[in-house]
Amino acid sequence: MRRGAIVALISIALVVAAITTAIAYFVDWLPEQASEERQGIDLVFWVTVAICIFFFAVVASVSIYSGVKFRVKPDDLSDGPPIHGHTGLEIVWTAVPTICVTVIAVLSAVVLTQNDSSKGKPLRVEVLAQQYAWQFTYPEEGGIKATNLYLPINRSTKLELTARDVLHSFWVPEFGQKQDAVPGIVTTVVITPTKTGEYRLICTELCGLGHALMRTRAIVLSQADFAAWTKKQPQGGGSASGGEIDAKGIFTANCAPCHTLTKAGTNGMVGPVLDDLALPPSAVEHQIRNGGGGMPPFGNQLSDDEIEALVQYLTGSNG
Amino acid sequence: MSETTTSQSHASQHASHEPPRRRHWLLAAGWPRAAWMTVFFFLLGMGIVVGLRALGGYEPALDWHPVIVVGALTMAPLGFLSGLGAFDYWVSYAIGRPTQPEDHSSHGAYSWKDYFRVNTDHKVIGIQYLTTTIFFFLAGGLLALLVRAELARPETNYVDTQTYNELFTVHASLMIFLFIIPAFAGLANFVVPLMLGAPDMAFPRLNALSFWLLPIAGIMLLTSFFFPGAGAGWTNYAPLSVHEPFGNVFFSMAVQWAGASSIMTALNFLVTIITMRAPGMTFWRMPLLVWANFTTSLLVVIATPFIAASQFFVMFDRVMHTHFFDSGEGGYALGYQHIFWFYSHPAVYIMILPGFGIVSEVISTFSRKPIFGYRLMALSLMAILVLGFSVWAHHMFVSGMAGYLRVPMMVTTLLIAIPTGIKVFSWLATLWEGKLHFSAPMLWALGFVTSFVVGGLSGVMLGAVPIDIHVSDTYFIVAHIHYVLLGGSLFTIFAGIYYWFPKMTGRMYNERLAKLHFWLTLVAFNTTFFPMHLIGIQGMPRRVATYEDRFGDWNLFISISSFVLGASFMIFVYNMIVSWKSGPLAPANPWRGMTIEWLVSSPPPVFNFDEVPQVVGSPYEYGVPGARHAILNGDRAADLEPVRTT
Repeated sequence: MRRGAIVALISIALVVAAITTAIAYFVDWLPEQASEERQGIDLVFWVTVAICIFFFAVVASVSIYSGVKFRVKPDDLSDGPPIHGHTGLEIVWTAVPTICVTVIAVLSAVVLTQNDSSKGKPLRVEVLAQQYAWQFTYPEEGGIKATNLYLPINRSTKLELTARDVLHSFWVPEFGQKQDAVPGIVTTVVITPTKTGEYRLICTELCGLGHALMRTRAIVLSQADFAAWTKKQPQGGGSASGGEIDAKGIFTANCAPCHTLTKAGTNGMVGPVLDDLALPPSAVEHQIRNGGGGMPPFGNQLSDDEIEALVQYLTGSNG
Repeated sequence: MSETTTSQSHASQHASHEPPRRRHWLLAAGWPRAAWMTVFFFLLGMGIVVGLRALGGYEPALDWHPVIVVGALTMAPLGFLSGLGAFDYWVSYAIGRPTQPEDHSSHGAYSWKDYFRVNTDHKVIGIQYLTTTIFFFLAGGLLALLVRAELARPETNYVDTQTYNELFTVHASLMIFLFIIPAFAGLANFVVPLMLGAPDMAFPRLNALSFWLLPIAGIMLLTSFFFPGAGAGWTNYAPLSVHEPFGNVFFSMAVQWAGASSIMTALNFLVTIITMRAPGMTFWRMPLLVWANFTTSLLVVIATPFIAASQFFVMFDRVMHTHFFDSGEGGYALGYQHIFWFYSHPAVYIMILPGFGIVSEVISTFSRKPIFGYRLMALSLMAILVLGFSVWAHHMFVSGMAGYLRVPMMVTTLLIAIPTGIKVFSWLATLWEGKLHFSAPMLWALGFVTSFVVGGLSGVMLGAVPIDIHVSDTYFIVAHIHYVLLGGSLFTIFAGIYYWFPKMTGRMYNERLAKLHFWLTLVAFNTTFFPMHLIGIQGMPRRVATYEDRFGDWNLFISISSFVLGASFMIFVYNMIVSWKSGPLAPANPWRGMTIEWLVSSPPPVFNFDEVPQVVGSPYEYGVPGARHAILNGDRAADLEPVRTT
C-alpha cells in the first residue's frame, strides 16, 4: 500500500474518532449516578464505547477513502485487481476483535460479581410487584410496608423481588440495576445508594394496560433520617393510617395508576374516569373484587373492610 | 444428468400434454372452490367442537372461543389451501387416482392470473413471496407510524392502551414473520435455483404450499385487531400473554402458520442446495448467497419448532387450561423465555445471514473484484450458525434466570461479534482498489454495512452484562434492533430487489428514483433511530404509550423523522410499479455479473435452462482475464445478448 493512502486513512480515522468522541463527551448520555453499582456499569459503558469508537473510525475511514478514491465512471468497464485474500490481514482482523471482546468480557464479569455482592450486612427489602403497583416490605424493621422505596444512603440494600400476577421489572435509572419480578420465584438485586434524593422507580417489563404508569419513587435518606422514618411507621404492616380505614389512601395506592378521580387527585388514563360513576354499589364491588374489561381483580389483595370502604368512597362521590 | 433430459423435454411435454378433463368451476382448483371450502371447513371445525362439547355435557355447547381456535384459525385455512389446490396432487396420490409426476401444467406464469394460483415455478413463487411480503411491510410500517403518532406527545392521545399494545405487537410480528424472513425466502426462491443451474427447487409443490401459508398468517395477524388480545409484544411473554384477552390466540396461530411455511421452505432449500447443483459446482464454488441460504435454512429447520412449541404452550394454557407457565399451579414462568429465545435468537441470524449473502454478491459485482477471503466468509457463516445456538439467554440477563448462566452467555455473545467482524472487514477489503460503481444496489449494500456496524457495536455493548442490565427493555434496545433489522436486513432486501429486479421482470428500474429512495431512507432512518439510544440510556422504557415529559422533544423529533422514513418507501413502491409496467427492457446481464443467473435471459425462460450449465470456476473471478464461473454450450447466451451499457 502506498504511504499516501496510509496517511489519508489514518487522518480520516482520526477525524471520525474526534467527532464521535465529541458526541460521546458533550452529550449528556448517562443519567445522574446515584449508586455504587452504577459506577461499575458506567466504567464498562465507557470502556466499551471507546472500543466501539475505534472500530467505527476504522470502518468509516476505509469506506470513505474507498468511496472517493476507487469510484469510476459508469462507462469504465475495466475490472479491479483479482485479489482473493491476504492471510496476514485476515489473522489481524480476527485477532484484534478477539482481544477487544476479551477485555470487555473480563471487565464485565468483574463488575458483575462486584455488583451482585453487598457491602457489609445488607438491608433486606421484600418487593411485591403486581398490576400496576409496587409494595415494599421491610422485614427487619418490624414489617413496615410502603408504596415508595425508602433507602438509607451508603448501605447496601438487597431487594428480594417477586410478582403476584405477571412479569414486572424494577428499574431506577440513577441506580442502574434492573431486575425482573417473576411470579413463583424470588429474584434478588443489590443497590448501594450514594446520593440522597428522590428518583423515579419504573416498571420496564410490559405488564398490561397500566404498564406505562406503574411508577413510584425511590427515596434515598441519610442514615439518621432513615432510622427516624422507620420509627414513625406503624409496625407489623397494618394499613397506613392505623385504626380507621383510609379509603382515599387505598384508592391512591391501588387505583391511581389507571383511574382519574378528581377528589383523590389522581389522573390515570388506562381505565375509565370515575368522577361521574353511575353504577350501583353492588356492581362497583363486583368489579373491584373480580376485575374484568382489562382490570385485574382486587378480591385477594384488599380486605373486605377495605373493599367496602372503597365502594362507599366511590359511589358516595355521586352525592 | 437426468436433469438434462427432464429439463430439455419440459417444454415439449407441456405443449403436447393432453389437458385434463375439465371439472365444474366449483369443483376445479381455484378461488371459487377455495371460498366454499373455507366456509365448509370452518363449519366442520365448529361441528367438531360443538359436537364434542355436547357429548361431554359441557355448557354451553356452543362456546365461541374453541370454535374460533379450531374452526377459524385451524380448519378454515386448511379448507382454503385445499380449495386453492395446494394438496390436489398429494390427495390424488393418496387415494390412488392416476397422477402424472412430470405434469408441468401449474408451472410458470403466462398471464397475471397465474400469480394468483398454486404455481410450482420457483420464479413465480419468488415474485409471489416478494409482492406479498412488501404488502405486509407497508401494513406493518403503517402500524409503526400510528405508534409514532401516539408517541409524538407524552400523554395518551389517539388510541387507548389496549390498541396501542396491539399496534406495536402486530407491527413487530408482521415485520419479522411476514416481511423480513419470507422476503429473504422470496429472493432466494427466485435466485438460488438459477445460481445453482437447477431447473427448479427440489420440491416444487411443497414450495407452492409454503408460499400460500403466508397470506393466512398475515391476515390472521391483521384481523387480530378485531379481537383484542394480541397486545403482549411480539415476544408474547407468559404469563401476560396467557392473561391477555382472547384475541391472543390469533397471534399464537399466525406464528404457527408462518413458522410452518418457514420450515418447509428451509427443507426445500437444503435439499435443493445439496442435490441440485450444476455439474462442477463444488461447495467451494457456490456463490456466497447460496452459502448464506444454506446456513439460514439449517438455523430455520433446527430452531423454528421451538417458537411453535412456545406458542402452543401459551395457547394450551389459555384454551385447554394446562399450566405450563402458571406458577400458582406448578408452572414455570421463565420457561417460556428459554424456549422462545432458543428460537428467537437464532431468528435474528435467520433475518441477517441471507442479507450477508446478498451484500457479498452486490459488493463483489459493483467493485469488479473477487470477494475478499471467500473461504473465511463461508466459514464465518458456519461459525455464526453454531455460536447462534449458544447465546439465547443474553435476552434474559435481568429475567431472574440462574445467575451463573450470565457470564458464559456473555462470552458466547461477544465471540459471535468476531465472525461478524470478519465479514464486515472482508467487504471493506473487497472495495479496496476496486472499480466502484455506485448504482442503487451498491448504495444499499454500503448503507447496510455502515448501519449494521452501528447496530453491531451497540450489540457488543448489550452483550456486556452490566450495560445490558441498565438498558434492558428501554429505547436503547429499540434503537439496536432497528439498526440491525431495518438498517441491516431491510437495506439488504432493497439491495437484493434492485439487483435482481431486471432479472425478475425483464425491465430496468428508474435509477434516479432508486437513488432518491436510498438517500431519503438513509437520512430519515438515522434521524429516527439514533436518538432512541440516548433516550433509552436516559431512562425511557419501551412499550409505553405515555412517558415522562422530559423525553417529549426527542420523541416529537423521532416521530417527524419516522414520517419522512415512511414517505421514502412510497418512492420505492412507485418505482417498482411503474418500472415493472413500462421500464426499459433489461439485458440478460445488466451488471456484468458472473454467477449463473446472468447467463440466461431476463426474465429467465419458463424452465430456466435449455441445457445444464457447466461450472468451471469460482463465482467471483473479476479481473482474471478469460475466467468464467460457468458456461452454457458454446457461450451462446453471451453471444446472443451482448452487454449493453446505458
